[in-house]
Amino acid sequence: MSPNALLNGRVLTAATMLAVFVTMSLMALGFPEKARLMPLMVGVPGSVLGLAQLFIELRTALNRPPDLDAGQGEAHGNERFMLAWTLLFFVGILAFGFLYAAPLLVFGFLCLGKKESLAVGLAGASATWAVLFGLFESVFQIPLFEGLAVAWILA
Amino acid sequence: MDIVGIFAALLNVVGSPYHVFLLLIAVPAGMFFGAIPGLGGKLGIVLAIPFVFGMDPLAGAIFLVSMHAVVHTGGSIPSILFGVPGTGPDAATIVDGLPMTRNGEAGRAIGAALGASGVGGVIGGLFLLAIMPLLRPVVLAFGPAEFFLLALFGITFIAMLAGDSLIKGLLVGLFGLMLATVNLDPQTGTQRYTFDFLFLWDGVDIITAVLGIFAIPEMIALGVAGGAMADVKQRASYGLSGVLQGIRDVFRHWGLTLRTSIIGAFIGMIPGLGGDAASWICYGHAVQSSKTPERFGKGAEEGVIAPETANNSKEGGSLLPTLFFGVPGSSGMAILLGAFIMLGIQPGPGLALDGMDVVWTLIWALMIANVVAVAMFFVLAPAFGYLSYVRGSLLIPFVLTLTYLGSYLSHRAWENLVLLTVLGGLGYLMKKYEWPRPPFVIGLILGPVVEDSFHKAFALWGPAFLLRPGAMFMMALIIVSFTVYFWRRRNKTNQIQVQEHVA
Repeated sequence: MSPNALLNGRVLTAATMLAVFVTMSLMALGFPEKARLMPLMVGVPGSVLGLAQLFIELRTALNRPPDLDAGQGEAHGNERFMLAWTLLFFVGILAFGFLYAAPLLVFGFLCLGKKESLAVGLAGASATWAVLFGLFESVFQIPLFEGLAVAWILA
Repeated sequence: MDIVGIFAALLNVVGSPYHVFLLLIAVPAGMFFGAIPGLGGKLGIVLAIPFVFGMDPLAGAIFLVSMHAVVHTGGSIPSILFGVPGTGPDAATIVDGLPMTRNGEAGRAIGAALGASGVGGVIGGLFLLAIMPLLRPVVLAFGPAEFFLLALFGITFIAMLAGDSLIKGLLVGLFGLMLATVNLDPQTGTQRYTFDFLFLWDGVDIITAVLGIFAIPEMIALGVAGGAMADVKQRASYGLSGVLQGIRDVFRHWGLTLRTSIIGAFIGMIPGLGGDAASWICYGHAVQSSKTPERFGKGAEEGVIAPETANNSKEGGSLLPTLFFGVPGSSGMAILLGAFIMLGIQPGPGLALDGMDVVWTLIWALMIANVVAVAMFFVLAPAFGYLSYVRGSLLIPFVLTLTYLGSYLSHRAWENLVLLTVLGGLGYLMKKYEWPRPPFVIGLILGPVVEDSFHKAFALWGPAFLLRPGAMFMMALIIVSFTVYFWRRRNKTNQIQVQEHVA
């Protein structure tokens, strides 16, 4: 079996699904009787179906030409770009909260990521801050998450 | 029929300046999200969630239903002007809508779509009003055994229809059910899969899960695709006189309009069968019932009227299983269902018992939103021609911000941001490798219903609960749906083999 077949994204996704069902089913065995009933009712058929799907994906992967799933150059680059920015949004907001991180991330995405003009970036960042602070904090009186790093610094 | 209650609900909507204000905001918002390909109505609903958080439950529900009701009205515009469907079900409108534009009848096509959407939405609501008194006793007769199997039926049916692979659909549905067991077990108080995290004791947050599985993958995919909406770079132009002619066409073909509205509403009632099915079935009906079928595909106004009435009338139909059974009629309804629960409106038989005022109010909101959309279009008409200049990819950072905000606001737990990102990654893999996502949401939402109903049914009747008439009917439905599914797959495979043989 070629290593490429195992590293195929479809195979890995199916394997992940199977792993989730098997792991959760095994963990359910440690619950009391009534508590484990539903997880097992779902997990056992899920594991069986997961195994079937993994088998299908492996068989398909072995029969298809290699690198069919490795996206065309530009799409692959765009994918890494978007995954990186999504992760950056998560880390930024988690660390520094909505009011500080979100406008900066919007500005960064528009200007650095999408090469938009400074005016567009600043307009986007301002609009974001206006909605978050002006609408949610001021009008709706909903305090927004301040970020773990900011909370730690202030503490 | 509670006539007083029905009209009291109407007064509740139009007599309250606050509700009217919310409706007037929701309608253009819904049309906007429907009109921008790459965004879509589901995303609009999930992004509206942070804004309705903390609202009066009924007001929030009116806002969301009104927004959802007009998404396909907006989606018809890029379909007709540029040949790019705003939402999936609007694809059928392209077949005759785009040729009408090319024939210089863009305004007429838009008017036909607008009028059809408005009439279809109203008829869908009236259909629901009419059928409600018949269905209420049926809903109240449902017991835990029936609800357990109805929920399973809903999940399996949607798994069958959501994608090409039944195994993938079922796996995703089961995954949603599995994730619904992450909580403090209501039967024994045991911590299940919570790893001592307090925020998981009440279960995986539905809003976070929906945002993660739908919103984040859509934004990643939009960015990967380059965010281009269409190759058209010029403003599409049309006159209001053409629009008015199109609206008149809807009433000129009143028989077709009425029939496709009712068909759409009926299809909307069946969980999982809404969306594309309603618009294409009604388009097919329009072709078959026409005396001049050769005109279709070349700019026949009936080819725009039929799918557009169905697109909007099905929303009225799909409210029925969503509100009364807690089984979403479509993936959009699944998201609405999650939002209703967040607002404190609990769908299910309890609503049929003492929440009918909420039900009537939402039906009126649905109908009024469709009428308002038609009127509002005349105000906003010039703006829609500039849609081609909107680059969807520029909206990505704002949508991501609102997505994270919505997830945080639902439970004020920063841990949900982590869960959101993890599910977002999983959702993107699902989208990329063609795993259907609607069954996951439905499994997650129905998981507690399935488990609770099962324990109750088992406690009351033991394993013999499966022999109750209602339960056996549900099981028969599940078996029939599997049979039809495999029969249709076999037919499709045979057709492909015949075509290959001929070629």
